[in-house]
Amino acid sequence: MDPLIKSAKEGDHLAFAMLFKENYPFLVKYLMKITMNPDIAEELAQETMAKCIQKMHLYNGQSKFSTWLISIATNAYIDQCRKQKRENKWKGQEEVYRKLKWQFESRNEEWNDALEALGKLPVDVRVPIVLKHYYGYSYDEIGTWMKISSGTVKSRVHNGILAVRRELKLGEETEGRHTRKRKTK
Amino acid sequence: MVKKQKVVILGNEKQNKHDLDAIHKLQEGLGKVDQFPVYTPDLEWFEKMVLTEKQNSRKKFVKELSLFLMIALFILSGIIVSFYQMPVVFILIQLITPIFIGYYTLTRFNKKVKINE
Repeated sequence: MDPLIKSAKEGDHLAFAMLFKENYPFLVKYLMKITMNPDIAEELAQETMAKCIQKMHLYNGQSKFSTWLISIATNAYIDQCRKQKRENKWKGQEEVYRKLKWQFESRNEEWNDALEALGKLPVDVRVPIVLKHYYGYSYDEIGTWMKISSGTVKSRVHNGILAVRRELKLGEETEGRHTRKRKTK
Repeated sequence: MVKKQKVVILGNEKQNKHDLDAIHKLQEGLGKVDQFPVYTPDLEWFEKMVLTEKQNSRKKFVKELSLFLMIALFILSGIIVSFYQMPVVFILIQLITPIFIGYYTLTRFNKKVKINE
């Protein structure tokens, strides 16, 4: 185990601070991808670090520290979404990516339509897509973090990619041809 | 039969290609997010945050423990009093408690299953 992690587990404040400083940009960028909102990402990063301090004794060092942070952050975001849904504070899906789009524009960066399509997906589909196809985690790992079976993760990712394809109008020609064929039968 | 299979395979290949195109576009967009600069506070800020969080969790632990002990003491004294003064009430409590726990667990479990569905 990394000596820094070992010291943090023993209660060393400085070791904790160094670990967090090292992983902070990675954590915020991950949260920006799943929340599509830089402000919420920073807020959740702090919540994740707070949970990490409370749960440090549970970290066994089998996975990377950054992976462990991602699993805690994922749960924190899903919990926040459930809470908002329960309190009827849920804003429309369309509003989700607006802040990220604004940040792209302010940096004179071209907005990516795939990100817009991703933002229109529900949270429980968006999160596994990012984890699987950007970070390369396995269906089993994602399933464990989200407390669902790996089969459910697989079908959510598959359906999500289909939705993104539809939004990007990829493969509409072939789909159209298939339906035309079916009509003649 | 063979011809049909070929059509299916070609169709699947095309579908897979479109899937890969979509994934590639997603990766491209998400990659751009990674290039955004993120302001990282200094080490002192993180150290302060760790200390505050540890203090808060200690306070929370003490608060929860004292609340738990108070409630436990209240329930226990109630049970002892009822055992010596009103045995009928004591028996009723003994009967109602497991029924309530069973009912509560079952409804909670059903609610959880519904949320996951």
